[in-house]
Amino acid sequence: MRYLMTTRPTEQSADETLYAEMGKFIEELTAAGVLLATGGLEPGGVRVTSVGDEITVTDGPFTEAKEAVAGFALVEVRSREEAIELTRRFRRIVGDGESVIQQVFGP
Amino acid sequence: MTDPPTAAGPATGPAVTDVHARIDAVVKLESARIVAALMRVVHDVGLAEELAQDALVAALEQWPAAGVPENPGAWLTAIAKRRAVDHIRRSRRHDRKAEQYAREQDQPPEPAAERDDVLRLMFISCHPLLPTEQRVALTLRVVGGLTAAEIARAFLVTEPVVARRIATAKRTLAEAGVPFALPEADDLAARLSSVLEVVYLIFNEGYSASSGDDLIRPALCLDALRLGRLLAELAPQEAEVHGLVALMEIQASRSAARTGPAGEPVQLHEQNRGRWDQLLIRRGFTAMLRAREIGGTPGPYVLQAAIAVCHAQARTAADTDWAQIAALYGALARLLPTPIVQLNRAVAIGMAAGPEAGLEVADALLADPALRDYHLLPGVRGDLLLRAGRAAEARREFERAAGLARNAAESAFLRRRAAEITVPEPAGRTVGEASAAFLARDDLDPATLRSYGQTLTRLGRAVGEGLPLSSLTPDLVSRACVVAWGDAAPRTWNRHVAAIRSFSAWASGPGGERPFGAAAGGLAPASATGNAGVVAGRAAGGAAGLGDAGVFAGGLRRRPETGGRIAALAGPDLDRLWERADVAVRERTLWRLLHESGAGVRAVLGLNVEDLDLDDRRARGGAGRVSWRAGTARLLPELLAGRTRGPLFLADRRPGPGRMPAEADRCPDTGRGRLSYERAEYLFKQATGATLRMLRPR
Repeated sequence: MRYLMTTRPTEQSADETLYAEMGKFIEELTAAGVLLATGGLEPGGVRVTSVGDEITVTDGPFTEAKEAVAGFALVEVRSREEAIELTRRFRRIVGDGESVIQQVFGP
Repeated sequence: MTDPPTAAGPATGPAVTDVHARIDAVVKLESARIVAALMRVVHDVGLAEELAQDALVAALEQWPAAGVPENPGAWLTAIAKRRAVDHIRRSRRHDRKAEQYAREQDQPPEPAAERDDVLRLMFISCHPLLPTEQRVALTLRVVGGLTAAEIARAFLVTEPVVARRIATAKRTLAEAGVPFALPEADDLAARLSSVLEVVYLIFNEGYSASSGDDLIRPALCLDALRLGRLLAELAPQEAEVHGLVALMEIQASRSAARTGPAGEPVQLHEQNRGRWDQLLIRRGFTAMLRAREIGGTPGPYVLQAAIAVCHAQARTAADTDWAQIAALYGALARLLPTPIVQLNRAVAIGMAAGPEAGLEVADALLADPALRDYHLLPGVRGDLLLRAGRAAEARREFERAAGLARNAAESAFLRRRAAEITVPEPAGRTVGEASAAFLARDDLDPATLRSYGQTLTRLGRAVGEGLPLSSLTPDLVSRACVVAWGDAAPRTWNRHVAAIRSFSAWASGPGGERPFGAAAGGLAPASATGNAGVVAGRAAGGAAGLGDAGVFAGGLRRRPETGGRIAALAGPDLDRLWERADVAVRERTLWRLLHESGAGVRAVLGLNVEDLDLDDRRARGGAGRVSWRAGTARLLPELLAGRTRGPLFLADRRPGPGRMPAEADRCPDTGRGRLSYERAEYLFKQATGATLRMLRPR
């Protein structure tokens, strides 16, 4: 089963140690065949809203930054517990903040 | 000894079951590294696995109260390593070594060294010294972190069987003193192919599982993918590893599309390609590129992956590059000249160069006894014949395929395909109808009729029950007989030949009402008109009288019988047979028992667990008394693995819904059926080239 882990943005800036540790973590998970895809997301972005027939396109940044997503990882695991365990390890590396794990269905 | 620090504070929190679930997740993610790290210390896979198990028990005791440590994998490794050092100290032989490890143990190993350790572990758990089933169990256990119960569920065997396989494997490796080292260069190819075989076998077990009833089985695909991906990082310079990964990724990408809403199989060309998992396809392409970059002559996995890539690249079924696929199958057939590869090649050629070209390859396979009962051969031929405009033959092949298919959904699908073809009703009787009429005679005794019935059933299955009797040529009959009984004992061959001759004579006689004409070719010269054929057929029938070959048994000859005795296998052959490590315990037990008891094959296969008296080494089955000696007695406990009832020798798989055996022939615990004579004979033939009856002592 697949899980998508998304991470909220934080104020802290990443230092070199964190980059090195994250690099190692990603390499390890890729090698183990668990991590399928990962990436960081630009702040803001473009919002596309539809109401009835009307479609509105708005450029960021947006005020409610808390809801935004700063990065994601798509993992393939045997169980929810494995996904949680991996996210624990991720959170331990990146420090204070919040991640959300959701199972991915399909295609 | 102090344990490593745990995360602050006893749990206000997690329930014990949560801790268990977490431990389970940690073990599945980290098992390979933990066991590999221990192997470095103790050099014995059995001991390493036990130490890892001990560490797990410690975690189960401590974590619920003390909280889960910050880095659970490292905690488990550290605990297990300490126990390993204690173990070495207790053994008092390697004091200096132990001290050295005690000093080193808290230093995390270099990542590269750690990777090599895991690779060494995989080479050991897949060692060719072990029979395949033990390799599979041990690899899933120590590298995949699965429990014996999980492995048992996935392979439809009982837990004690898996536990025993793992224990035997560990003992074999320890006794052989297999070193914890990477294989030497000249041994690498063979050792690697043994690893790849295990990974692909695990994948296929999951991939070919029928949908639904047990989710553990599809999870095997994930386990195999993980093992493969891991192996690709560990041995990145091996093209075949990337080939296997590419093959598995692309096959797995189709898993959602390959069954319909009712669980029926959906053929590749009819699959909804929108449901193919593009992420896995891209991963497969990437793996394939890595294989290509390494270069060299493509091995079997790279070739199979290349075929999978061709399919994945086609946007629609019609876009498929069949010429390329046919060429790849040609290359694969040179490496793996199996009939299944040839059959796939026939399909590809049929698509690339037209149905006649495909039929040429497929028809050659009709003479291969290995495909005798394989439904896909008539299935493929049906397809090709239909496209070649030979509708009546196509329909008969689909009917034949439906009769041979084991899976109910597949059989129904083939029957539908047959029904979709409208052909004029054949003139005169079909082979099936004629057989039924022949067997309904009242001038033969029941035993003869039963024996004839077996022969004609097999004949009908081989040529198609729906074939008009007038199209049954001597050639067709000869080929069917050679495929079915060509390698049987002369006495068996002669029995079937006699039955067919009798049927043939009856069919050409006045009672048979056989429409004379087109098919008397065996007796008339090729240039003869139909009329001359009739005359020749009648003349022969009239002249030879009773027991004559008739019109379609003309190609069949009796074989000399060797005084009714079958040559028995001799001493050295037997010794070699008993020592074979690549044979499953079921086969070894069966063969030993047949040899030691001298009993008939059917009597031995008919034994039930409750018939056995292990102490007195004998059993009383329905077919009389069977007794054995030490060789069998040693093997029986492993075969039984705690079973107390049901057939002694069980089939590998649970029967499909369409082929449910009688209750007496089913294991009440696992649902698997009794091992059939045909299957047992086939396996013995594959392993030795001999027949089971040759195991009887002189």
